[in-house]
Amino acid sequence: MQHTNRERAAWSIGILVVLFYALIPVAWIAAISLKTPEQVADRKFYSGFHLDNYEVIFKDDMFIAALINSIGIAAIATLISIVLAAMTAYATSRLNFAGKTVILSGALAVAMFPPISIVGSLFDMWRAVGLYDTWPGLIIPYMTFTLPLAIYTLSAFFREIPWELEQAAQVDGATPFQAFTKVIVPLAAPGVFTAAILVFIFAWNDFIFANTLTSTDNARTVPAALAFFTGASQFEQPIGAIAAAAVVVTVPIIIMVLIFQRRIVAGLTAGAVKG
Amino acid sequence: MVVAAATLAACGSSEGGSGARAINWYVFNEPGGAYDAAVDDCNKQANGRYNINYVKLPTDANQQRELIVRRLAAEDESIDLVGMDVIWTAELAEAGWILPWEGERRTVAEKDKLEGPLKTVEYKDKVYGIPFTSNTQLLWYRKDRVDTPPDDFTWDEMIDDAVDKGTAVEVQARQYEGLTVWINSLIAGAGGQIVDQAGNVKVDDSAKRAAEVESKLAKSPAAPPGMSTNAEDQARQGFESGRSDYQVNYPFVYPSAAAVGEDFQKNMGWARYPRTDKDEPSRPPLGGINIGVSSFSNKPDLAFDAAECLANEKHQAIAAEKGGLPPTTESVYETEQVKKAYPFADLLRESIEAAAPRPVTPAYSDISLAIQKTFHPPESVDPDGIVDKLRDRMEKAAQGKIF
Amino acid sequence: MEAATTSAPAAAPPAKKKVTDRAKAERKLAWMLCAPAVIAMIVVTGYPIAYAFYLSLQKFDLRFPDDKEFVGLANYGDVLTSSTWWTDVFTTLIITVVSVAIELVLGMAIALVMHRAIFGRGPVRAAILIPYGIITVVAAFAWKFAFDPTSGFVAGLPLISDDAQPLNTKNGSLMVIVLAEVWKTTPFMALLLLAGLALVPDELHEAAKVDGASVTQRFFRITLPLMKPAILVALLFRTLDAFRIFDNVYIIQPGGALGTETVSILGYNVLINRGNLGLGSAISILIFLCVILIAVFFVRVLGTSTAQQRGEA
Repeated sequence: MQHTNRERAAWSIGILVVLFYALIPVAWIAAISLKTPEQVADRKFYSGFHLDNYEVIFKDDMFIAALINSIGIAAIATLISIVLAAMTAYATSRLNFAGKTVILSGALAVAMFPPISIVGSLFDMWRAVGLYDTWPGLIIPYMTFTLPLAIYTLSAFFREIPWELEQAAQVDGATPFQAFTKVIVPLAAPGVFTAAILVFIFAWNDFIFANTLTSTDNARTVPAALAFFTGASQFEQPIGAIAAAAVVVTVPIIIMVLIFQRRIVAGLTAGAVKG
Repeated sequence: MVVAAATLAACGSSEGGSGARAINWYVFNEPGGAYDAAVDDCNKQANGRYNINYVKLPTDANQQRELIVRRLAAEDESIDLVGMDVIWTAELAEAGWILPWEGERRTVAEKDKLEGPLKTVEYKDKVYGIPFTSNTQLLWYRKDRVDTPPDDFTWDEMIDDAVDKGTAVEVQARQYEGLTVWINSLIAGAGGQIVDQAGNVKVDDSAKRAAEVESKLAKSPAAPPGMSTNAEDQARQGFESGRSDYQVNYPFVYPSAAAVGEDFQKNMGWARYPRTDKDEPSRPPLGGINIGVSSFSNKPDLAFDAAECLANEKHQAIAAEKGGLPPTTESVYETEQVKKAYPFADLLRESIEAAAPRPVTPAYSDISLAIQKTFHPPESVDPDGIVDKLRDRMEKAAQGKIF
Repeated sequence: MEAATTSAPAAAPPAKKKVTDRAKAERKLAWMLCAPAVIAMIVVTGYPIAYAFYLSLQKFDLRFPDDKEFVGLANYGDVLTSSTWWTDVFTTLIITVVSVAIELVLGMAIALVMHRAIFGRGPVRAAILIPYGIITVVAAFAWKFAFDPTSGFVAGLPLISDDAQPLNTKNGSLMVIVLAEVWKTTPFMALLLLAGLALVPDELHEAAKVDGASVTQRFFRITLPLMKPAILVALLFRTLDAFRIFDNVYIIQPGGALGTETVSILGYNVLINRGNLGLGSAISILIFLCVILIAVFFVRVLGTSTAQQRGEA
């Protein structure tokens, strides 16, 4: 296709608009994080490069604990969710059985579930069985609420896998285990990987559960920990510290998104439309 | 799964020591290091008898309470001491979550305390905590721009003066606890109260007076930008930016003013909280932290000892010096530390003595929410309908209904 | 023939039995594979919602556990007869409808841009994925700080006067909340629509072009109808998501001040702040019912539209 210079110019402007739209809040929060407390109220977008806020948060045990909790809880929830979802997705996409539709629509129902409807009950249940303010206390709901997303994404991928290859490999003398690990796993890996990224982002993002089901450094994650920062005194707002913490938890996600953008796009669209 | 869960639960409990002598104290995150200092000092003195762990709560008072209520309702044994905002006493005591201070303990808790803070630990003739730090608001003004306020300075006069001079009055009028603080002081300043001694809702024309003051400021040119979303810190920033010559706020604004510039702090004057009515003394707000002992602590005796240590005169002085938190014990106001931290120490003590405690009722959080919803947003408050509206909401709140 | 027919029934039973055995084994395996996920979903959502329903029939305050008593549907009556509930439902619907509508238009524009990309598809895709990856609470703080009347840079912009600060008014606050919501979730919408666009065959466009149809005609007559299922799916997901809005409001106007209280915020205030488990659970159940209602509505529309399409085909 031929494109005139005008088309190219218009397109360039379009790209710039989209970039500006996507990045402005990120740039703003980064700019605040680089301000000193005196500069916070200066109403300027950029007031210089000061790392004071980062020093403050990385000296704060509470923030470090929250960071470790966030990473650990999201990672474990992702791992478990993907394993369970892969099993279910394999069953629904490969095997014939009566309950298939029930399971898939049940999963869809869970995806639409309002978390606020169950935080109260969950809090009661967790305190009764001792899961309140523990890692499993958050891992279990995260895992559950990401199952639908993971199941739908993985089913869509699994349906595309040419499973005949497995039998072909076995005919060629491979053991069933070899056939599975050498043939199927490499084919399924991209899908599993996509689902894992999506699940991780969900768990990393949650605020309602983190805020209601934790109370100490034991399990508090970063989104809930932002409420614990303080300014120079009880009444002073810790805007700078919050902004610095926000940047710290955003950077890894941005890097992940930039590296894996193709996969994420594939996963998002596969899960929602083909499923 | 279950095994994994159990292991995770086991290795997760690193915080809040669980040893036989560990005392976990849940209190807000004090950034000045005053609480850390008190904890270290008490642990040293206890010489191994107990070891206090300082477990931090969120900055926001509402969130602190939500968290403590949740844990205590769960009969959580890991809480031994609670750093209670002065408004929680009735709620926690009525639910049976904190222990009364009886006999010798009560004597220690009450010893030499100022009247106002002492009232905040009392519920149904018992004492449920030891007053630790207090707080109150003063009227801060620009000496270089406005006249020294007279002793009977009223809100109306202040607003009028600000309008005349084309400046603003900084208040806390966001829909949050700070709004209840302001409204409560305005109502008490008009001789009224929201809930009486027996816990019954009492709303009268004093609520209308409060609404008149609030509405007058909000609709006048003296209303600061963002009035309906301003809390303590926005008020401070507004005053420091020079947009306003008056501000009602806690003493933390004084050390902060030094950072703006020495001249700025020198030009900052202080006076007693303004009056609602000309012939009625003002009733400044009353804040602060009391220390209560959880009913679910399995070492209450040690917990009481630890609370007594934390709240003693020495640590009150440290809290005043490092954290800007005014003492509850009368004699501490005479110490060098406090005199140095607060050039206005006498006014502070006088204000705390005259302060109006917020309603003492187990349904405090509901009542406060009702007040906040009724008096917000400030510019839409209608003084004529406010009494009925407030009464209706308060009754619904007391009955546990939606409002 | 004879032999064949006689032998067939003889051979059939074992063969059939073998099949059923295999089917049985397959079914067993399938259920074993699904069981953990199904159990997790039931334990974490099914049981709590049932428990919430049980609590909603009680008078039950966290602080006064001894006063617990069965009150039937009284809590529901209390909620449904209060103006607060209906005001909050209305507020939630406004936020939902406005933000989903903007997202649809914006998402469609971004999807079309990406679909017809001349160059730079990579940077655009990466850029719009950033909002998707960012923690909602963090994004909400960014918007709140930007519009903060005392410290935000928006307040420092020349065209905005001090008196017209968005966060000081109801409409302004709703606008900022919608803005934050739209910013965060448009990428999701755009990607779903992009997938739908990919399903529209190019030949149709070419044919229409030959017939002299303009760009707009082609968009409304060909692209849109063919994308209808994708659009409805995207709308369903986003509507349900937006109806549950919590994080953004909680951060931008704490407590749902200035008339920004949504149903989820109301539920939180009653359940967590007031500790009123009975009343709060009734609100929770009602929110759940609203979500089901919205879902059913969409599935009806979705169902009829796909049926229509099949009929037309």
